[in-house]
Amino acid sequence: MERERERERERESTLLESGLLCNANNNSSLPSTSSSPLIDRKQSDRGVIVQRTKMAYSNPFKQFLANLHEVFLGTKLFPLFSAVPLAIAAHAFHLGSAWVFALSLIGLAPLAERVSFLSESVAKCITKILLHAVGGLLNATCGNAPELVLALLALHDDKIEVLKWSLLGSILSNLLLVLGSSLLCGGLFNMGKERAFDRKQADVSLSLMFLGLLCHVMTLIYKYNTSYGESMSVSGTELVFSRLCGILMVVAYAGCLFFQLKTHRQLFLAQDEDGSDGEDGFVIGFVSAIIWLLGMTIVIAILSEYIVSTIEAVSETWDIPVRFICVILLPIAGNATEHASAIIFAFKNKIDITLGVTLGSASQISMFVMPLTLIVAWVKGVNMGLDFSLLETASLVMAIFITAFTLQVLYLQIFYR
Amino acid sequence: MEGIREEEALGGLEAGSLPSKPSNSNSNSNGHIGIGNTSTDTSGPHHHHKPLSRHGRTAHSLSAASLRKKSDVTLLTKIPCLGLRNLLINLQEIFFNTKLFFLFPFVVVAFVFFFLNLNQGWIFAVSLVGLVPLAERLSFLTEQLALYTGPTIGGLLNATCGNATELIIALFALHKGQIEVVKWSLLGSVLSNLLLVLGTSLFAGGIKHLRRPQIFDKKQSDIGIGLLFVAGLCHLLILVYGYGYASTETDFFPSNQLEMSRVCSIFMLVVYGMHLFFQLKTHSQLFDLEEGDDGNDAVDEEEQPVLTWWSAFAWLVFMTVLVAVLSEFIVNTIEEASQYWGLSVSFTSIILLPIVGNAAEHAGAVMFAVKSKLDITLGVALGSATQIAMFVVPLSVIVAWIMGVDMDLDFKLMETGSLLMTILVTAMVLQDGTSNYMKGAILLFCYVVIAVCFLAVRSPTLGMIPDGNLRTSLSTWRSLSA
Repeated sequence: MERERERERERESTLLESGLLCNANNNSSLPSTSSSPLIDRKQSDRGVIVQRTKMAYSNPFKQFLANLHEVFLGTKLFPLFSAVPLAIAAHAFHLGSAWVFALSLIGLAPLAERVSFLSESVAKCITKILLHAVGGLLNATCGNAPELVLALLALHDDKIEVLKWSLLGSILSNLLLVLGSSLLCGGLFNMGKERAFDRKQADVSLSLMFLGLLCHVMTLIYKYNTSYGESMSVSGTELVFSRLCGILMVVAYAGCLFFQLKTHRQLFLAQDEDGSDGEDGFVIGFVSAIIWLLGMTIVIAILSEYIVSTIEAVSETWDIPVRFICVILLPIAGNATEHASAIIFAFKNKIDITLGVTLGSASQISMFVMPLTLIVAWVKGVNMGLDFSLLETASLVMAIFITAFTLQVLYLQIFYR
Repeated sequence: MEGIREEEALGGLEAGSLPSKPSNSNSNSNGHIGIGNTSTDTSGPHHHHKPLSRHGRTAHSLSAASLRKKSDVTLLTKIPCLGLRNLLINLQEIFFNTKLFFLFPFVVVAFVFFFLNLNQGWIFAVSLVGLVPLAERLSFLTEQLALYTGPTIGGLLNATCGNATELIIALFALHKGQIEVVKWSLLGSVLSNLLLVLGTSLFAGGIKHLRRPQIFDKKQSDIGIGLLFVAGLCHLLILVYGYGYASTETDFFPSNQLEMSRVCSIFMLVVYGMHLFFQLKTHSQLFDLEEGDDGNDAVDEEEQPVLTWWSAFAWLVFMTVLVAVLSEFIVNTIEEASQYWGLSVSFTSIILLPIVGNAAEHAGAVMFAVKSKLDITLGVALGSATQIAMFVVPLSVIVAWIMGVDMDLDFKLMETGSLLMTILVTAMVLQDGTSNYMKGAILLFCYVVIAVCFLAVRSPTLGMIPDGNLRTSLSTWRSLSA
């Protein structure tokens, strides 16, 4: 039991460090990237199959088995894995788009979780080889990999609206659904306990999101102006403006990463520093992690392709507007793992990590995934701009405001009681 | 006047740590005919306050003071004739005591261009550049006058004349009937203060002090932000009022928007007056600027005014006339110049004009941020923005009312939207009392976004009011919501 607890703590430290700093003395963490919860993973039965520190295995087959065991059975979401082959089968046998859609959606959840786990392993390996920053960047990107893949596939299918709606829905669900439910559960569960709360990272993420919000609002107003005739603009400048904004947003996000990872790392130390020893070994070797990562991404791509292609048919079948599916349903599935981990950390009274996960994810989608798809669309020659319609922009605005001010209230409540 | 002198002498005694008067005292004894250095027995009302607190001096003037040099009068003391000597000393104080003096020739060039009837674009550009040193000198002269008058009047003087250039440009544009230019230039001033000046200062300060977080006093910035929100609210309400919900097909009531604007302006002026009262009288201890650990040279230098009251006043009038003339050039040529340079009038008014007009404050704010005196930076940037939003704008509305010009608080959708977002982003950034370079970068990026937006938008010709037809606007909104 003791050994298991030790292993569990080691896992936790592994997750908290997110592969950035393998130094035993350094207790920094990048909570925004530790999106996988500890408890989702079962303790795999190690005694039988693999030792943890060895990277070279005697038998390649045994190694493969070990990997398989680790990758597939190491998560509590294991039963959901069955949805993946079912989805592929449903698509192959044309079982009706509703089934394909639903099964793909369900199958996305465990895949997303595995991808983040694998990316953490890769990041850990990379940090031993290269700079910290690269590892962090990789983690940051892979944290929202399913959303990115979905967005790119929708772009490929030329469904720009689906793309925008799904990204918007991801932001909204991160800010409101995930954060709200985790704060609610954490608050109820930990009633009366003192809650530490470091607002620096929240502030940085929220400020970034305000910048993104400014871009969206200005684009909308711009569009309104030109369509209303209040002002004329040279044709096509609306698109140019969106693209410029996109570049700015990516630069701002890169600057923020630099800020977080390099210069002001001390601001983002995790509050809890117990048990954060340096991790000792990898669970999976570097090469196998990369291979599994690629494999998982390919499967995610396939499932996302199913989702994107069947979405209209599904909305007709189930009589739900496409917008609702994209904004509400898709992100619920895509964010399932983050959601679970945020709630779990809130239960453990670690609000910092919850905030880091949700706000970091939201700001990453808003300032990185969205402009990245914009730039890809630019390269492809597709006319995608940053403009959402009025309802979406308004909901985004209100979501960000409400989150910002709720956090401020929370902060005041805790520290000025 | 003596009261001030004695107060400051007392203040110096209190602190005990102020260094002895710098070499300026030589110029004092030479330059002042009327005011001696004697302290009298009659004491004016004393405020026992921190010695470095300047009642009449705001952060605005402190930052502008950073651009000044100490005068070196040894050369001039050799001139025998008293009158000529004083005049030359005055001239030296006025013209050469600033690091911007190399821009003064532009003023002359502007005049030359005007009389030669050169290209409008060039007249505009040269006048614009020539405004920079004049604005700085105006604030210097205002300060000097403020040192003579009491604390309250001094504060009031600084408050009104702090943004004299913007006020003068606005009044001239009003006079010419170019209402949009007024609105744009004032809006651009607020935006540039909040985003550009604050952004570069926070960025520069954050880069310089990479390891330690820079802190500032939240109380002052809270009040400023609160006032800005009031201004934003007024603008938003008037804008939305224009888009109202009447279901009948009557012509919408532009005049009511106008009347509402005027009433709102009166209220805004009242609120600003209360803020001045708050700042200068009752809660002045909140606004005491921090003492610098290193002897703040710029502050010590200005303890004694370097000009007589009358000469300061005369120079003030002269400078104001110069500013007025240059502003007239600017306002007259802004349309053709924008066309000449290939920009829209809105871009020129919102972006270019305030960058130039605020150049001196900008430099000062950045310098103070790098020295980690963020309170002063915030005082400059936020204070200036608050002043324009809550004082100059409603004042222009009321002056327009008097002149019979129809100016209201309805900046159009894009301008109001950018104003509100700016205030929100600034509030967000300033809310926790610390600063780092990332915050400055975010503010700068916001400014770039807004600038690009206005760059891309071309307005129809000035003076054309868009059709206020309700149906069109509603249908457009509906199409946007689809």
